Order: sequence, then C-alpha cells, then structure tokens
Amino acid sequence: MSKIIAVVITLLLVAGLGTILLGQPKGDKKNAHSSGLNASEFELTNNVEMREGAQYVTINVRGGYSPRISVAKADIPTKLILKTNGTYDCSASLVIRSIGYQKVLPPIGEEVIDLGIPKPHTLQGACSMGMYNFSVNFK
Amino acid sequence: MKTHTFHISGTHCASCKIFIEDALNERGFIKNTCVDLKRETVKIETESDQSPKELAKVLTDTIKSNGYALSVEKPVEEQWNNDVIWKAVPIGLALLTLFFLLQKSGILNLGIGGGQITPTTSFLVGLLASVSSCLAVVGGLVLSLSAKISQDNERDTKTFLLFHVGRLAGFAVLGGVLGAVGGAIGINITFTTILGIVASVAMILLGLNLVGVFEKNNVALPSGIFNFFRKVEHGTLTPLVIGFATFFLPCGFTQSMQISALGSGSFVSGLLLMLSFALGTLPMLLFLSFGSASFARGRYAPIFFESAGVVVIGLGVFALLSGLAGLGIIRPIFNI
Repeated sequence: MSKIIAVVITLLLVAGLGTILLGQPKGDKKNAHSSGLNASEFELTNNVEMREGAQYVTINVRGGYSPRISVAKADIPTKLILKTNGTYDCSASLVIRSIGYQKVLPPIGEEVIDLGIPKPHTLQGACSMGMYNFSVNFK
Repeated sequence: MKTHTFHISGTHCASCKIFIEDALNERGFIKNTCVDLKRETVKIETESDQSPKELAKVLTDTIKSNGYALSVEKPVEEQWNNDVIWKAVPIGLALLTLFFLLQKSGILNLGIGGGQITPTTSFLVGLLASVSSCLAVVGGLVLSLSAKISQDNERDTKTFLLFHVGRLAGFAVLGGVLGAVGGAIGINITFTTILGIVASVAMILLGLNLVGVFEKNNVALPSGIFNFFRKVEHGTLTPLVIGFATFFLPCGFTQSMQISALGSGSFVSGLLLMLSFALGTLPMLLFLSFGSASFARGRYAPIFFESAGVVVIGLGVFALLSGLAGLGIIRPIFNI
C-alpha cells in the first residue's frame, strides 16, 4: 500500500519537476507565440528597434535572459545589446558559440556585440553552466 | 578446530576476496579462509575458542581500515534497502522540486548594488551564490562527497575541515594571484564548463553509489575511480586539493567575482575579494557537509543516504545536460 502511494507521489513530483525545468517562463508566452511556426507573417518582438540604419536587439541579463526568444530581421546590420543590472549570476558569463563569443559581463553596464549582417538563422546564447539561454530568430 | 561463517560488508570488487583472505590468514589462529563474494560471507577455520561474536570483533579490527567489517548477524542495512528506496525517491525528488521551484521563482535574483565591488559586496554575493543554481554543482559535489565519506568513515570531521580550509585558502590565494597579474590572464569559460561536466559525472557516480545501485548489481566502479575516492577519504592532501579546485568549478557568481578580482589591481585586494566570497558561501556548504555527517549517525541514516543520492543524481544530471548545452553539444533543454 505504502509503495503505491510512494509511486504516485514520485510520478507527481516527476511531472512537477518536468514542468518547472522544461516549461516556458510566464512572461515569455506571448513572445514564444509570435515567433511560432507562421514564418510568412512574423512580428518583430518589441525589444528590436531600428536606429540609424541598424537593427538593435536588446536583452536584459539577470537571473536568466529576457526575452528568451526574440525575432529580428535578417540581412540588415545588427547589433546585440546585453544589459546587466547588478548581475552576478551565471547569466553574466555569456557564451555565444556560433560567433565564438565568450565573456563575463560586468555587473552593471551594456555590452554591445556587432553581429554584422546576419543570414536568416537562429542565434543561440547560453550562460557558461548552460541552464540559462536565449535565442534570436533572424527571419 | 572450529568452523565459523560471518557476514562481511564493504566488499566491492573481485580483488577484495584475495585481500581479505590474505589479511585474515596472517592472524596466527586462523587456519583457512574462504570469502564468498556473492553471498557476502566469509568462512573461516580456527583453533581459537573465542565466541563467534568476539572473533568477528577481533577480525574486523584487522581489516577495518580497508573498509570491511565482519558480523555474526546479517547487517541490518540489507533489510532496509528495499523499503527505504521507496521513501527516498519521493523525498529526494521533493527536495529537487523545491530547489528548482525556488530558482525559477526569481526570488533569489536579487540585484546587488553595482559600482565598486568591496569585500562586503562579495560576501553578500557569496551568500546568494550558495543558494543559487551554483549549488547544483558545488553544493551537489560537497553533499555527495560528504555523504560518501560519512558512510564509509567514522572520523569524517577532519576530512571536511581540510576540504573547507582548502577551499578558503584556494580562493584567497588564487584571488590574490588574479589581482596581482591583472588582465594578463583570464579564466577560460570553456575550461570551467568542461570541469563542471567532469564534476557532474562524478556526482552522478557518487549518487548512484549512495542509492546503492553498485552494491546491488555488483557493478563495481572502475578501480581507478574507486581508489581515487578511497584516497579522498583517507588522505590529508586530497580534500585540500579538491577544496582548492572548487575555485575553477563553473558558477556565474564565482566567475563575476574572479573578473572583479582581476580588475582589483593588487594581490591583497584580489585576495580579500575572493576570500570574502568564499566565506559567504561557507555557511551553506558547512551545513551540507556537517548536516550530512550528523544525519549519517542518526537512525534515519539509510533514508538520508538514499535521498541524498537521489538529490545528487538529479543535480548531476541537471548540471551535465546544462554543461553540454553550454558547450553547444546539445540543444538547451532547461528553462529555469
């Protein structure tokens, strides 16, 4: 009898852990939706802005990256801005493999990374331990 | 001439049989020994008139330092095992859920003032780091080593103290070095990530060991690894070195502080920064190692070891998959 209870509790806990670890954070649901499969009618996420002929994608860095998924235009000059604000956790030690970028960001400040003119692809960034990550979808 | 059969605990590999037989045969009053690894018994022929209980005690003294023990009764542990695991798995999972829930809630994502980082700020950052996701790697390692040591060794306090002294000294000295050399060197992020993966594999192995997978299925750890852990438990140098090496384990907070130490400009200021950071992490880590030691002697010891095993395996798998994602080998899985 106690074994059955233990198994039920175990299964519930596994489900809970799965939701915690694999689920989308609340604030990201909208962004995740707009970056969905419908490639012909995509909207840029509101952290992307055009200034002086260049595209700026801003990502806040503290206890993870926000927004986790951004959508930007491909084939135009693009810069990635990473804003830290009292950030000491893992998200400060940023690794973007595809462009060979790795740096521990200062606790407060803005880091500007020039991405050149990105082709349509998804840029993936993660912290050194890998439990925080973000992606920028160039379309 | 009398024949006795004792139960033996602590056997883990084929060579144990040879070792135990040799060790016991060296005692003058023992004529013949035969170890049955499968049933975990040892049969001896002796001229001694001592009672089986006394004999078991005398002979245990001979081989105790190598981690074996003889007993007349079958060790009680065996009987616990089956029932205990059913309690340990939910307990371990509940602790893991709590830990990740806390991480996800964002309560711990406090911003600590910016600008100049003083030893006070770095102490606070240390406190914060010790309850952050860094706990998954450093804390998991401390918990698994502590539980393993307590399980095998009565006198564990010395080992723990050496580990923590090594850790504090390592942070102080290496922080000082960073301060002195300034921007000349940086700690390579990829290097620490790889080290983190090694640590997480060690955690998973230790966790499986705590849960008792290796004992039950007679899957022995590769002897190299096993000898390594034996050395950790009995040596003086090894816990010091491991404590020292935790400086390089991947943890965003540690890395931020290392960068601050790099920029601090002098040996003393770098030393103070990293030392106060390590002091900040100390309470939680002390709690983990001495907490596990006191549990290990209580009546809930079996549940504690197996729950700790489940927690450590969970953290190890989390750290391993995260680390692989960090290296770009697999796609990121977790969204905490």
